[in-house]
Amino acid sequence: MMDFSIRPANVEDCKDIARMIRDLAEYEEMSDLVKITQRDLEQDGFSKNPFYHGIIAEVSDQHRSQDGHTKIGYALYFYSYSSWIGRAIYMEDLYVMQEFRGNGIGKALMSKVAQLGLAAGCNQLNFTVLDWNKSSMDFYFSHGCFNITTKLGYHCMRCEGEALENLAQP
Amino acid sequence: MRFTVRAATKDDCKEISRMIKELAVYEKMSDQVKISHEELERDGFCQNPFFECLVAEVPEEQKSTEGFTVVGYALYFYTYSTWKGRAVYLEDLYVMPEFRGNGIGTGLLCKVAEVGKKKQCVRLQLSVLDWNTPTRDFYAAKGGQDLTVTEGWHAIRFDGQSLDSLVHEAPTD
Repeated sequence: MMDFSIRPANVEDCKDIARMIRDLAEYEEMSDLVKITQRDLEQDGFSKNPFYHGIIAEVSDQHRSQDGHTKIGYALYFYSYSSWIGRAIYMEDLYVMQEFRGNGIGKALMSKVAQLGLAAGCNQLNFTVLDWNKSSMDFYFSHGCFNITTKLGYHCMRCEGEALENLAQP
Repeated sequence: MRFTVRAATKDDCKEISRMIKELAVYEKMSDQVKISHEELERDGFCQNPFFECLVAEVPEEQKSTEGFTVVGYALYFYTYSTWKGRAVYLEDLYVMPEFRGNGIGTGLLCKVAEVGKKKQCVRLQLSVLDWNTPTRDFYAAKGGQDLTVTEGWHAIRFDGQSLDSLVHEAPTD
């Protein structure tokens, strides 16, 4: 079993988070959709009212990746709200570099998010997964979550670009 | 019909709680509502609020059959997309049945979009139940895309026992 540690992200981690965000987007076959930069992450995660929080999984230098990275996984989350049950936590990203998978790092990151959420009084941990992503679905379901799209019929909807501009006209 | 949309105050929480329950009845999940106006007051009006809320009001002479002038609400919070950046999530949008068809729902939705725009949000997201055709049509008409259908996104949740189990397995600091 590989030694790793998990700690809160700081502003210096944003370069590695940006790198891993792009890796995750490539895995999800949507890498051309990534518009965010390291600077956006720095401003949005480390200001007075951050839009998100992050935790980083690190290995020691002797276990660094083939490309020389010791920051080899992350989870990015924020607090949300359910008008039925109150405070909740939303996990936007969970990612472990491919060469480090199978060592319990993804599970440890997710558990840490759950722990932080519970400590803040949250009653749910929510996130989304692509329906074709069987290995991720299997991973999540093996830990007892449930699919509210298939079980309850919730569809995720989005307004952006021109449609959002039209809505935002005063 | 004349109506105004304004930011909710702590005093509105009783009305918001009433309408949350009405919305849950419409969604056929009224037994799922576990919080009351007290949690709304605590969580929406603290130092770092978990949500923001807008209410739609009509003048006294147009009050509802039961005497309410606060007739709709939109509850939302800020989120983050690691691809696009700042976003806003519309948790609830509701107008009392007797006030529908007057543009109040659209008024609330547009105000949320405007508030989000001021904070440089580039997305507005929400979820809708698959059987809720009128609501799906409402959002589709405003340019909303159904990501579950078009891209295959599924919403997943841990709560209750499954959440507790996950927490117990968290690494120690």
